[in-house]
Parts: sequence; C-alpha cells; structure tokens
Amino acid sequence: MPGFFREVARRVFAQELKDSNLTSRDESDQYAPQYVLTPTGAKVNRIFLVGTLIEKEDIGSDSEYWRGRISDPTGSYLVYAGQYQPEAAQFLADCELPIFVAVIGKTSTYTTDDGNVLTSIRPESIQQVDELTRDLWVLDTAKQTLERIKAIEAEENPNSKLAKEHYSTDTEYYRAMVKKALESLKETA
Amino acid sequence: MKQTAESIRDRFLKLGVDVPIEDVESRLDELITKFKVPSNEAQRSVTNYILKKYSIPKNEFYMRQAEPQLTKIVDISENGQWTNLKAKVVQLWENTHESISQVGLLGDETGIIKFTEWKNAELPELEQGESYLLRSVVVGEYNGRFQVQLNKNSSVEKLGEAIVVGGGDFIPTARESELRNISDLEGGQWATVKGKIVQLWENTHESIEQVGLIGDPTGVIKFTNWASSELPDMEEGKSYVLKNIVVNEWGGRAQIQLNKSSSIEELDEDIEVGSTTSTYLGAMVDIQTGSGLIKRCPECKRALVKGACAEHGKVKGEYDLRIKAVLDSGTSTQDVLINRELTEELSGLTLDTAIAMAADALDPGVVLDKLKHELVGRYYTVTGHKLDRYLLVDSITLRTSLDREMLDEMLTEMEVQ
Repeated sequence: MPGFFREVARRVFAQELKDSNLTSRDESDQYAPQYVLTPTGAKVNRIFLVGTLIEKEDIGSDSEYWRGRISDPTGSYLVYAGQYQPEAAQFLADCELPIFVAVIGKTSTYTTDDGNVLTSIRPESIQQVDELTRDLWVLDTAKQTLERIKAIEAEENPNSKLAKEHYSTDTEYYRAMVKKALESLKETA
Repeated sequence: MKQTAESIRDRFLKLGVDVPIEDVESRLDELITKFKVPSNEAQRSVTNYILKKYSIPKNEFYMRQAEPQLTKIVDISENGQWTNLKAKVVQLWENTHESISQVGLLGDETGIIKFTEWKNAELPELEQGESYLLRSVVVGEYNGRFQVQLNKNSSVEKLGEAIVVGGGDFIPTARESELRNISDLEGGQWATVKGKIVQLWENTHESIEQVGLIGDPTGVIKFTNWASSELPDMEEGKSYVLKNIVVNEWGGRAQIQLNKSSSIEELDEDIEVGSTTSTYLGAMVDIQTGSGLIKRCPECKRALVKGACAEHGKVKGEYDLRIKAVLDSGTSTQDVLINRELTEELSGLTLDTAIAMAADALDPGVVLDKLKHELVGRYYTVTGHKLDRYLLVDSITLRTSLDREMLDEMLTEMEVQ
C-alpha cells in the first residue's frame, strides 16, 4: 500500500499530555489523522503507555461506555472505551482494580466551553502486564522525553520549534518531571 | 465492404470457382452491420462458408495463396505475414507449454528472432547450432515483438552450409548475465548473484526443487529452484554463485528463479549477509489478523484466506501457528513475522493445545486473543532477517530486567545540570 504508514506509538508522560492543547490535522483530507503536539514536541496520534488502572466507571446511558483512569509517576490518563472498542470495553468491564495495564490507543481531544483542551485516549488494546513492564516503560518514556527536551533546547526539528513557539516550553519544568519519574524507579528497587 | 467482397470473389475465381458477388456481399453485410463482427473476422467466416459450400479443402485454398518469398529476418515487418527463412538455430529454450514442441531463437546475418514450433506441426526436431531452410512460417506479434511460428503447413530442410548470425548481443556466451547486488534486482531481468543460503523452506510441490532465501551484503531475496532446472541442491549456510537466473516480481516483491539455463557454483568463501541481520528493540503494540492458529495450503505453504489458497483454490489446509506483530520503539515501527517454533516458545502454547483450544471454543480466534493477552504491551528484543517490510524473526526475547545502569546514568546526568 503506497502512501500508507503506521503511526508510531509515542511515549509521553501523563503530566505532559495533560499540558498539551495544540492539535493539528491536514484539513484538505477528511481521513487525515489528527495529531496532538505536546510541550516537548512529540507529535502524537498513537500512544503507548503502561501504568496502574486505578478507577473504572461505566458512564454510558444506553450502552456500556467505560471510562478508566490510569496513573503513571507524573499524573493520570483517561481512557474511554465504548462499542467501537469492544475488546477494551470488555477488559474494563471484567478487570479488578488496581492492576498494571499496557494501553495502545489514539489520542482524542475535546475543547471545553471555556477553551480548555482535554486529551483522552481511545484504546485499541488494553492488556494486563507485570510491574517490570511498567518500570521498563517509565525508563523508556523518561529517555524519550529527555531526548525531546534536548531537541527543544537545540531547536533541532520543526516539531520542537513549533512546540517552543506555542507553549514557550519551560524545559526545566519537564526535566523535573522526568527526574521525578526516574526517582520513582529507584524507590521500587 | 464491396472491395472485400470483390477480393474474396477474385480469390475463388483463381481456383476456377465463380461465386455470385451478391451472395458474398449480403453475407458480409449481415455479419458486419447486423451482428457487429469485425471486418476481417467476417471476411474469414464468409471465405470458410464458401469453401465448405463448394467442398474445397482448406489446405489447398490457403496453400495456393501462400507463396511466400525468402525473407531476411530484419525484413520481417508484418503480423500475419507468411515467409520462408534461411536461418541458424541460435538457442533452444526450455519450453513451457505442452502444445509447443520447441521454442528458441533463429538467426541470420541480419538479425535474430524468436521462433515457436507447435506440437501439431509434426516437424522434425531442430538442433541448436544447425542451419535450416524454413518454409511457410507465420509471423506473429507478441508484446510488440515479432516472432515466427512453425505450423502444420510449414516445412523444414536442414542446410549443409552454416548461416552466419549477425546481431551479436544474442550470441549465447554474451547472454551470461551481469553480477548484481541482491538489493538492486528488479523484475524482468536476467542476472547473476553471489550469496549465501539464509533459509531453506519446506516445500512439497513436486515441480519445485528448492525454495528459500538467499542473501548477500546488500539484501535478502526469495529464490525458487524449479525441479525442471535439473540443478543440484543447495545447503543452508553455504555460499553460491547463481548464474543466469530470472528475476520477476510477485506481489510487488522481487524474487529469483533458477531454470534450465541457470547454473550453480558452490563458493569456498563465506558471503556476509551482514546488514540484513538486524536487531530491533521495542514494545509489541499489535498482533495482526492472520496470526495465531492459521491454515496453510499443503501444496505451497501459503496461508489460506477463507479456506482458499491464492494459488491452488479450495484446499484442505494444514494447521500452523504464527504471529504477525508490530513492534514499536517510540520513534519507528517494525513488522515482524514469528514462526511456529518461536510462537510456541514465546506463548507456551503448542500447536496441539492451540488446536484443542480452538475446537473447544469453536473459534480459532481464541488463540489470537490468548496471544494478544500474553504478548501485547511487553518489551522485546528481536533479531532476524529483513525481508521487505518484515523482519523474519530468528530470536525473540522478552526484556526481563530494568537497565539500572542506564537509570543511574540518566539520574546523574540530570543532577549535574
């Protein structure tokens, strides 16, 4: 399939994703993917995260619509799964709390009346994993976030430049976030 | 149309048969105007009708009008032309169809042309290197190139003198094809490659001798050695020079085939298939359809789609386990193919248990679900050979420990700043 490529699943901590409010999409193509550009310049369509599922609730009125809250060392993500994510919805319906989960999904954004952008995740897959996988993910995400922070400081690529322009990214703030995440790994050792 | 009618009448007049022109015209008119038959088809149909009506043997009729001239190959210019040729058999090819008795190249001082001798022509076998007078051969056109065909009405006479062949680029020795990099191969060319047999695949089709992968420093490609090539078997891990192989494309991918004119030479040296053994680290983010418990065609080992093989149609499939997965590093993705052995190892699920599970649930999908459940979201290190967009996995290991050294390094680095 020429022209087709799979979106890479980005690694972004919850805190950074929550701070994101810049979305972009190619308006000329209704099937173009929507991206969220984060403060450190990750252009996210698909995301991979491993964290602890700490809350779940069926918020659907007619059919089941599940909301799950997943925490990482920096904050939490919200995932929503309804009839179009049957496997993920089934998982949320059946699982116990709390557990470690790995989520692969697409980001989606919602702008509130007062202009706040909320980013949530529509899961393609949720699986229960072990603690080690969660630790591996934290290290992986810390490393990739740190690389993006360095790219912001060097103004290396278009995404970094755009992110810096839009958010006036305070790289020290995100360095502190990465450090906090890494230190949490030391505690479990 | 009038002209056509006249010409048909004239041809019969030569044979001493006077056909009423109105009859010819009305028949032509009916075919062409009413039944939308192309004019040359109509002409043939009407001619055949008259032949039958007057009981004229077809052969006699066509023989008489065909009084071909001796032609040089370079002068062959018209599709459907009958001609006589004095030419040398430059090369005989492997013939691919049962209704063909011989196929190859004829040459004279002006050029080279492909010939086909039909089985029903019942002509003596031509010998490579001998020269012949070929009478009443028909010129045909295929893919924009002329060729000559020997049929029932043709005749062959061996000549004492040898015809000198011009057109140097077809001299057999010059056909030794160029040595190429595997990554440069494209469909529709002849080539010579030097490489190591990376993998031999199981093969049950009787017309295939061997099938597998061969690699050189630039890449890996699928090869097929046909049984009809009568070439020796190759061994996995040994290096060879494969001369005069044909490159073609299947499903958008180049592959190579060895046939009767190819040759295999074993090499003492060990060809490096270096750059193609690659390692990839990432999280498994997807297991795709076509994974888990699948059925393969017993003939060609292709995975069946809805119980049918792309090549052999509806077949009774054989069960297999495999995984088509996507690994993701956060900056790139890699499609990987995991074979049955590694799938069993990774999932702790044997083929037999998988079959039993599927039978219990009346659904092979439960195996796929189980694999997703066990594997997706975990971090793996895989090594294998790149083939197109896939990495054919030789080994896959779950990451089982946190790199504490890296963790400490990163923390130290952050303290310093």
